[in-house]
Amino acid sequence: MSLAQYGFQKLVLLNSAGYSRAELPLDDSVSIIAPNNTGKTSLINALQFLLILDKRHMDFGAHSVENSRRFYFPDNSAYILLEVLLPSGMAVIGCVGKGLSHDYEYFAYQGSLDLDDYRLDDGKLVAQPKLIGRLFERGKPAKIYPQADLRALLYGNRQKQRSDDPDLTIFPLEFTSQAATYQRILTRTLRLDRLDSREVKNYLLEIFKNDLQDRSVDFKSEWDKSFADVNYDKSQYDTVFRNKALIAAMEDSQQTRLALRGKIILWRPLIEKGLNDWEDYNNSASEQLRQRLRALDEEAEALENRQKTIYKDQAKVETALKDQKKIELRYQELNIQFQFVSDLAQLQTQRQVLQEQRDELVRSIGNAEQQQSPEAIKRNIAKISKEQTDLHRQLASLNNNLYLQLQKLLPTDSFDLLTRLLAKSVLSLPVAQGNAVELNDQTTFRSFAEKLEERLSANRLELPGLLLDLSALEPNLTIKTAQELEAEINDCEHQLTESNNLLKTVETLTQQKQRQQEMERRITELERDVKNYEELLSLQAGASERLQAIEDLEQKLKALEREESVLGEQKKTIVQTQEIHKADQKELQSQHQRINYARHQRIDQLPPFNFLDQLPNLPCMAAAELAMPSLADCIESYNRDCQKLKQIDDQLNQHLGELHRDGVSKFQAQDSAEQELNSLFNYTAQLSQEQEAIERKARSAVVQVAAILRDLRDSLETFKRRMREFNNKINRRQLSDLKVFKIEPREEEALVKAIQTLISTSEQVESGNSFDLFDHNAVLDDKDLNKAKDTLIAEGEARGGLRVEHLFRLVFIIAKENQTPAEFEDIDSAASNGTVLMAKLITGLAMLNQMQDPRKAIKTACYLDEAASLDQRNQRNLIEIAEEFGFTLIFASPEPQITARYCVPIGTTKGKNHISRLNWQILETISDVGNQP
Amino acid sequence: MTIDFAALTQLQPLFKLLSSGAHLNRLKDTELWVELENHQNHYEALFAALGFVLIVDGRGFAYFKTELASTYTGKLTRRLALLLMLLFEYQADQGLHLFQFQQWRLDTPLLGKLWQQYYALFEAEEINSPKTLKEILDSASRVGFLVFEDEVYRLLPAVHRYLDLFEELAQAERPDHDHIKDEAKEDIL
Repeated sequence: MSLAQYGFQKLVLLNSAGYSRAELPLDDSVSIIAPNNTGKTSLINALQFLLILDKRHMDFGAHSVENSRRFYFPDNSAYILLEVLLPSGMAVIGCVGKGLSHDYEYFAYQGSLDLDDYRLDDGKLVAQPKLIGRLFERGKPAKIYPQADLRALLYGNRQKQRSDDPDLTIFPLEFTSQAATYQRILTRTLRLDRLDSREVKNYLLEIFKNDLQDRSVDFKSEWDKSFADVNYDKSQYDTVFRNKALIAAMEDSQQTRLALRGKIILWRPLIEKGLNDWEDYNNSASEQLRQRLRALDEEAEALENRQKTIYKDQAKVETALKDQKKIELRYQELNIQFQFVSDLAQLQTQRQVLQEQRDELVRSIGNAEQQQSPEAIKRNIAKISKEQTDLHRQLASLNNNLYLQLQKLLPTDSFDLLTRLLAKSVLSLPVAQGNAVELNDQTTFRSFAEKLEERLSANRLELPGLLLDLSALEPNLTIKTAQELEAEINDCEHQLTESNNLLKTVETLTQQKQRQQEMERRITELERDVKNYEELLSLQAGASERLQAIEDLEQKLKALEREESVLGEQKKTIVQTQEIHKADQKELQSQHQRINYARHQRIDQLPPFNFLDQLPNLPCMAAAELAMPSLADCIESYNRDCQKLKQIDDQLNQHLGELHRDGVSKFQAQDSAEQELNSLFNYTAQLSQEQEAIERKARSAVVQVAAILRDLRDSLETFKRRMREFNNKINRRQLSDLKVFKIEPREEEALVKAIQTLISTSEQVESGNSFDLFDHNAVLDDKDLNKAKDTLIAEGEARGGLRVEHLFRLVFIIAKENQTPAEFEDIDSAASNGTVLMAKLITGLAMLNQMQDPRKAIKTACYLDEAASLDQRNQRNLIEIAEEFGFTLIFASPEPQITARYCVPIGTTKGKNHISRLNWQILETISDVGNQP
Repeated sequence: MTIDFAALTQLQPLFKLLSSGAHLNRLKDTELWVELENHQNHYEALFAALGFVLIVDGRGFAYFKTELASTYTGKLTRRLALLLMLLFEYQADQGLHLFQFQQWRLDTPLLGKLWQQYYALFEAEEINSPKTLKEILDSASRVGFLVFEDEVYRLLPAVHRYLDLFEELAQAERPDHDHIKDEAKEDIL
């Protein structure tokens, strides 16, 4: 044994684990010899208290740590002591029980382990409370260490040490962070039979931890993180694209809104001013109108009056005119009446004449009234006329009258008689053809005169039945001469004329009286005519004046009519004007009402109108002037604008809400809805650029994710490399009859391939600048890519993060001589017990060695139970391999293993085990012995 | 060993899947697989106590090993064995690496070619049309040998069982097809 060989020297148990005392050399390979179940393992396990320290990492197989504590520290004088040679010198690390609680505490000091230090003179062990004092007495200033501090000391964690602490680093790890792993493996190494492939994998991973990058990848979150933006942008893009029409409409609305705002801002002060001025304006305007109307009323009344006057005048003039015309008509009539009258004298003369005639008439009437009656006169006339007629007939028929005829034809007697009988007039009748008496046949008549003679006798005429005495009768006719006759006729005629006049006068008395009356009437008439004529004369005198008057009157009448008609027109005009003014008044009132109503309808006092000028707007360029008469229209239109603006506000908000609900949230971070809208419109306007941007983002997201996966893949590669090195390490010597013993990582094909898919996609994306090759869809909708992603996400989610260890599994490749190598997942099933044991031991030692700082080799120990299952060749092999890895091997078996340097039997006295250094059997090769001085 | 049932969160779905005779594939049932991986000892012990032998193959599949075979599964196994063997042979002829079978895409054209090339053998097994091939694959999908997605079948890691067997047989003297099938049947079920 070389003194320069730093490492464990010996392990001592005092009153612990059923040992009254046990001294075990650890500076070289040891074969602990004892039957089964005599505490070989307990001895080795005792090292856990010193080396593992952390109870959580201790493993006592079937026994709990609690029970083990009780077992190892039954009282306060139970010790587990380890002597170790360090570069800083010999040191002792101890663990002492604290009594009934079976608790324990650590102490350490520099110096060699001397059992007398722990034994009192009476042979009893030093109790824990007195230990430090005792050691100090013995010149060994020990120090009590809390477990954590000691652990820091042993594993070389300088950071946790105090400067005055001695350097007690037993396990100089390359990375002190690996202490826990080291301890776990160490625990296993103490009991290597339990090492299984899963643990090998875990330990190897921990060992190579520092070579492997970012050990856990939450792929899903990485993916989501990288693609969060992309997916978000894409969803935004899709939603916006889907809602393009709505957004366009909203943009229009926004434009309208801006314009409306500008308009409202422009008009608001005008409206304010207008409203302020309105009352005055209204009052003055309505007063004006009232006045005008009043004036018009007066005017109308004046016209009315005038018209009445005109009517009166007209009536008067008409009457006058009528009178004049009447006079004129009279004049005309008189004129016609007296057309043939030359002068007044004529008429007066006529009257004079008439008066005289009347006076004559009155006299004759007075005469006539004294005469006979007219009838007597008429009878007288008739008598005279008859006499005259007879006379005329007698005169006419003086030659041929009936008398004569009869005188000629008849006897004188008969004739006489007959002349008496016949009337004179009949006798005077002329006889002639065609006259009253015709004498057609004289003969016959003579005959008849004969017969008549018979009837006549003596003055008598007898007619059958009648007797007429003729004697009384005078002869009617005496034939007078023509002178007589003619004198008689003249006399008759004179008498007749006298009688006729008289008769006439008598007869015409009424007539004359009538005539007198008529004349009286005519005289009156004439008198009237005279009067009329006089009138005519007077009329004639005023004719020209009268005509003039008529004309004047007519003109006057016309003038009146004209004036009247003008007045009508004027009146009409006034009425119209009145109507207009009234309409104006009405209009003014209605405006006033409208304005009052609109004034109350105003909403521009409420938000957003009270800070409208702070909102974006399009300044209204139109010239705005407010004329008071148009105020009502203006304010109404203004109110409508306000209302419309509010509607647009609401509508835009509503649409924006709809978009939000549909998922457009990209612009919600903007300070105001307005800015959000603007951003949204800008975004929508640049949709195609946005699409490209998303595409770029998607590609860079793939690159980003791939970078993380690349780390994972690189780690896998590193691990594979490390494993190759590790295999070299464990294959430096051949194990037993194993031709091949390798631990190889086998990639989980699907996962690695998925990672590879993503990485290669990313490489293509990185190298390809052309959008054609990798457009947006190609990246986001790549089937293989998505499948790879899904695989990785599923794996990551199931395992709570993707780690490099998920990308492979370890297989043990074992081949004996003359065999083709075979892969085994479970090392236990790979070969015979011994071989497996060796394989496990070597693997474990190699792993521990891997962690140690190669510059500071400090030899520690490892334990192999059932050592007898290995043949000597393999035992030696193992010892050598362990040596190389910096371990001394402790075999445990019922039989001594002569390959070890020390053979240490466990003895038993009084039911307690003990190992004394006196029982150590040191085996040395002959050459070694020979070489010893 | 004490089994903490509370820790075995996926016991029910796992048992349901495995006891139906299906294969658990790490790719298809990642969650169950991880669960099984994390608590393999407990599951093995528990299922063993129930009379099932749980085989967890590190290549990514797990199943209950059973000696019993129903007529249906026997027939399916036989047919699938034939189909897979011919598929492997065909793919090997195409220069494809057999161990990368998980990346193969079994689409209609491929099945058509298979049918074309081996219809005599298929017909001997009463597989009378490419459609029947699909039916076999569908049935095999239900027990976890394949997965049907995107209109193509993909072989799952459980197919390793067949592949192992074929390799084994290939090492030995070249037997006739019937023998393969019998072997396959016995081994797998």
